[in-house]
Amino acid sequence: MTEKKEIYQQAIKQAKRTISWATLLIVVAVIFTIQLTYFPRFFSAPNENISALDTSAIDPMLATMNLNPDEIENGIHIPTGLIVDDGVDQVIMTCGACHSLDLVTQNKADRKGWKDIIVWMQETQGLWDLGEKEEVILTYLAKNYAPVDEGRRRNIEIIDWYEL
Amino acid sequence: MSNKKNSRRNFITKSALAAFTALVGTKIVYGANFPAELEPIGLDETVDGEKLPGKSEALTILNHKPWNAETPTHLLDPEITPANLMFVRNNGIPPTEFDLDTWTLTIEGEAAEQKKVFTLKELYENFTHYTYDLTLECGGNGRSEFNPPAKGNQWGLGAVACTRWTGVRLKDVLNAVGLKNSAVYIGYYGADTHLSGDTKKVVISRGVPIKKAMEDESLIAWAMNGEAIPVMNGYPLRLVMGGWPASVSGKWLTKIVIRDKEHDGPKMGGQSYRVPKYPVPPGTKVPDEDMKIIESMPVKSIVTYPKTGAIIAKGQSFEVRGHAWAGDLMVKSVIVSLDFGVTWQKCELNPPKNRLAWQRWRTEITLPSYGYYEIWARAMDENGTVQPMILPGWNPKGYLNNACHRIAVKQA
Repeated sequence: MTEKKEIYQQAIKQAKRTISWATLLIVVAVIFTIQLTYFPRFFSAPNENISALDTSAIDPMLATMNLNPDEIENGIHIPTGLIVDDGVDQVIMTCGACHSLDLVTQNKADRKGWKDIIVWMQETQGLWDLGEKEEVILTYLAKNYAPVDEGRRRNIEIIDWYEL
Repeated sequence: MSNKKNSRRNFITKSALAAFTALVGTKIVYGANFPAELEPIGLDETVDGEKLPGKSEALTILNHKPWNAETPTHLLDPEITPANLMFVRNNGIPPTEFDLDTWTLTIEGEAAEQKKVFTLKELYENFTHYTYDLTLECGGNGRSEFNPPAKGNQWGLGAVACTRWTGVRLKDVLNAVGLKNSAVYIGYYGADTHLSGDTKKVVISRGVPIKKAMEDESLIAWAMNGEAIPVMNGYPLRLVMGGWPASVSGKWLTKIVIRDKEHDGPKMGGQSYRVPKYPVPPGTKVPDEDMKIIESMPVKSIVTYPKTGAIIAKGQSFEVRGHAWAGDLMVKSVIVSLDFGVTWQKCELNPPKNRLAWQRWRTEITLPSYGYYEIWARAMDENGTVQPMILPGWNPKGYLNNACHRIAVKQA
């Protein structure tokens, strides 16, 4: 009788153990599925090759950013130095993805000139097709970073006069 | 040493998107749609307070991805430019890990007798060492003055330096490998990586005709000013070919190809480092086939003392000095004007320390009376060619601006 009881208790123990393992497996499987579905990049090494990416796959209307009003002084976005105007967010996100935005603020060109620069980056530097963003970016650049006729020699700019 | 190595390894720090959002306070809506790889590095400096590694804070930063920085002209006053003040012109991302035991230089190409691989130790031990003061100037130095503006980093006047380079002669190494009769050009490859992150994409691979490569002063260098080359200037090994656009002097050097035709690596063709074959009106779009490669740089000079903006006491005389250089040539004379080019006075001019080194010029000046003056410096090369007073011929990419340097002074 006691032997039978012992065998019975052992069977229960075995069953409990099996259930615990099965539960653990299920939990792991669920976590794994959630990760795969919602965070597919969590465990993968970052893809360093940005030219392989294509932002046109992202709805251009969705990918926007709001500038912090505290960081805007006299119409300039202080962290980037860019003039705040329609499309500045697209310039920060698209142009700033590969190179410093200093390359935008220190250059000046008309719409055709800026278009040529985009085409050059697409032909030689791995820039992707900008899709609908191109229009927004070109309008922003041509309006805010247009050339000024400086003649054949500018006046010397003196920032600080000092006693020699 | 290991500390140094470590800091070099870590010199480019990355900021995560999250950190970027938190610190900059810029809210990225639909952040999930923003590819994490496209880190908005436009704000790196603000986020990290990151400075140009190994360089003085006195440099003017034009761009920090890729790093491009120039030297304010008054800081170019020393005979030899200090290492931390030498300009930086990067096209891509410099390497971050360096193993001097395994770093090799491969010489190959269709016009090489054989393929040969040298370790740094072999270069150091098997060839005679030479030291030269060599002037390196970016082809686009002075670009910011062109009108209509040319695209690219808007260099002022400080993308030039003369430093003391030590290494082996390129010709000794090429001769050890053997050149076929068909050899006409060499091209270099370096260990820097493309901005796009595409590891297969070559950043820049330029070169020179064999004649320039075989000059005594064309070096494969491992030292600058008696120390290791700064990482931003090509550590641990680079080509140095003075007098030509600095882009022919490949940094982080890993390979040299001996070619039986003009080298055709990235930034040899198209519009890069090329100017029109004939003079064009400003703003002209010039077809690629009408562009020619820039070789020797034109005659040029800078005023390094005093710094522009000096107020001089009445009757006080003061020294004005600077450097002058002329690509492959010597500088024959330097003159200065105090009256916007109406009259000129001759300056003392030192011979170069060696061929392709810049030359010191100096003079003593007394301003005639109260008022505003500009000091203009104008050099002449050994062929009698002088610097223009206004901008030289416009070209699409804004190269070769050798217009006179001007500083402003006042007499109180």
